[in-house]
Amino acid sequence: MDILGQPGFAVLQGLVTGVLTGGIYALIALGIVIINKASGVFNFAHGYMMLLGALIFWTFFQNQQLAPVVAFALSGALLAILSTGIRYPATWTRGGRVAFIAAAWATVGFILLQTDNLFLRALVGTALGAALVGLLIERLTIRPLIGQPLFTTVMMTLVVGEVLLGITQLTWGSVDRSLPIFATVNALGLPQAYPPIRIRDVLGGTVVIKTELLIAFGIAVAAFTGFVLFFRYTRLGLSMRATAENADLAQAVGLRVRAVLAVAWAIAGALAALAATLHGSSTALSITMPGLALRVFPAVLLGGLESIGGAFVGGIVIGVAEKLGTVYFGSDVGEQLIPFVVLMIILVVRPSGLFGEERIERV
Amino acid sequence: MSANIRPSGVFDTSYAQEMHINRTRFDQILSAGFLGVILALPLLSRSGPFGIDLVQPGFLGTVERIAILMIAVQGLNLLVGYTGQITLGQAAFMAVGAYGTAILMRNGVTFWFALPIAALFTGLVGLIFGLPSLRVKGFYLAMATLAAQFIIPWLLRNPLAPLTNGASPLPVPRADLFGLEISGLPLYYLLIIVCLLAMIAARNIIRTRTGRAFVSIRDNDVAAELLGINVFAYKLRAFFICAVYAGLAGGLLAIEARSISPDRFDLRNSIELLAMLIVGGAGFSQAPIFGVSLLAILRETVIPSITPSLQEWLPRLLPFVDSVNINAAIAPIIFGAVLIAFLIIEPRGLAYRWEILKISWKIRPFSY
Repeated sequence: MDILGQPGFAVLQGLVTGVLTGGIYALIALGIVIINKASGVFNFAHGYMMLLGALIFWTFFQNQQLAPVVAFALSGALLAILSTGIRYPATWTRGGRVAFIAAAWATVGFILLQTDNLFLRALVGTALGAALVGLLIERLTIRPLIGQPLFTTVMMTLVVGEVLLGITQLTWGSVDRSLPIFATVNALGLPQAYPPIRIRDVLGGTVVIKTELLIAFGIAVAAFTGFVLFFRYTRLGLSMRATAENADLAQAVGLRVRAVLAVAWAIAGALAALAATLHGSSTALSITMPGLALRVFPAVLLGGLESIGGAFVGGIVIGVAEKLGTVYFGSDVGEQLIPFVVLMIILVVRPSGLFGEERIERV
Repeated sequence: MSANIRPSGVFDTSYAQEMHINRTRFDQILSAGFLGVILALPLLSRSGPFGIDLVQPGFLGTVERIAILMIAVQGLNLLVGYTGQITLGQAAFMAVGAYGTAILMRNGVTFWFALPIAALFTGLVGLIFGLPSLRVKGFYLAMATLAAQFIIPWLLRNPLAPLTNGASPLPVPRADLFGLEISGLPLYYLLIIVCLLAMIAARNIIRTRTGRAFVSIRDNDVAAELLGINVFAYKLRAFFICAVYAGLAGGLLAIEARSISPDRFDLRNSIELLAMLIVGGAGFSQAPIFGVSLLAILRETVIPSITPSLQEWLPRLLPFVDSVNINAAIAPIIFGAVLIAFLIIEPRGLAYRWEILKISWKIRPFSY
């Protein structure tokens, strides 16, 4: 059975792969939207933050003999953040705070130094490292630009991307790396991917679903749900939304606006690392990953720059458009052209996106 | 702030004085001297008639590329610095000019005809991607030009591959003038002269009704419309001029490099052009001179000279660094660090500093 001249199962295959990849795109878009919501900066460096985050994960996951100094540096950074950057509830005694900080520091330090559970070590190390990258970017390059015109901040994020690219090349080189997280070990002791799920005899062929892509999609959806709940119900999430709405007003009611901005960047850094790790686990980790974030920009614009739900819809739509484009016109059209054609169409038809805020201007 | 900050007490006494590009004697001497040095450089190199070996031939190549990039950055300056529209697609427009010139020349059209045709064609392409400026501005316009930056190289790589050789390099024939081959010395002087003409043209565009309309759109587009300026028409005009400059620079790059490939015109080149504009000082007509010279000399002279010593001691200082990777990594890091410093410390650029310096010299010993 054919759909528009292509076999039906191939179209279905493109649709399924598109939705699954779209989940990862949605996570990437979420990181961009969170920063834009909180600080009004569109982060062109997100792709490079992704690459750096995924390489940090790779280092903790694959590198058995990691210098202990890395563990000390990371847990030391955590110690500094916990002891100076957080306002604890007034009911906590001084001793309680010290005990909490010491316990957190010791736990993280222990996890980073052990080599029995590499996955846990990688998870904790990446969350800390990537969040730290986000914090540093915010503190060193974005905060000094408050009050500068839009062009300056756009340029700054582009340039931060260049610096991050240089740092990753300096440390890790530009070799492709495999990241077998969702895999078993075969008889030779080498990692082997889970067998893919095959659905036979649908629309005249077999549809193959890569298992690691399915798991990645599940994690992406779970993370997305978690963030929606976070922004709806937690104190921090609500204060981030308040800051995004009106920074002056938020400051007037006693929110620590600068801390909120820093947290937004830290969260975005961690999200970038998560998305990149998921993507890298289903394909490979290559230096071209920042190009992936460029293809997600249309998803952000399609959903609307301020809309978290929109990021999800946009991610799925772009994922499906890419994969269906690949089925119909080949991968050079699907991946290199379709997202940007979609981008042009959005900009001409509805620049604010599906769920974004319309801007009204007065003289 | 305009480029014409003048101290009190300096008056024009004739119309010719007022219309002069260099309005003080110091400016005249400085620009004449600067031009003289640039024109004398090849005569002092090994390829010159006197056989003096003072200037490295490699440095002449750097000056040639500076002249070419100055044209592209001046176009960008007219669009970004004066009209206030962000574009991330300048390198793609340069690609159109370069491939246009190369393809016309390969089909037997003389260089002197191919270059202007290709530049005008680039202007038309620029108009197409300027169309979204009817509806969107600021950040959204940056996104639209980002789309141009991807769509144009895609067109060059895939559907136009029979003409452009796809992703592989396209050789460009030599240009000639009445049988005289344009390479070496004649090429150097050709590039300097075209660059000079382009700079003067840009300086004059800024002083006309069009240029003043550009500035008013940058400062407040709604107010500009109330003043009776057709904002959309002038924005399109700015896009057209910007793309023509880019096409001119691309065409010159094609005959200078003798071989072009789409990799030379990707997003990172666009960012680099914008970076040159910011370092130079967007909105000042001297911006390209400062910005392009500084960043091009940094990239072509400073970075290659410090790389060997970095390869020596950086792996010792940071044990996780492999010296093989330093070569590729050092350029983006240094380039980015310079840019971050400029964006934080002096976002108005070197040209602005230069104006301040000139004024404080004129009004010495007082501070204002």
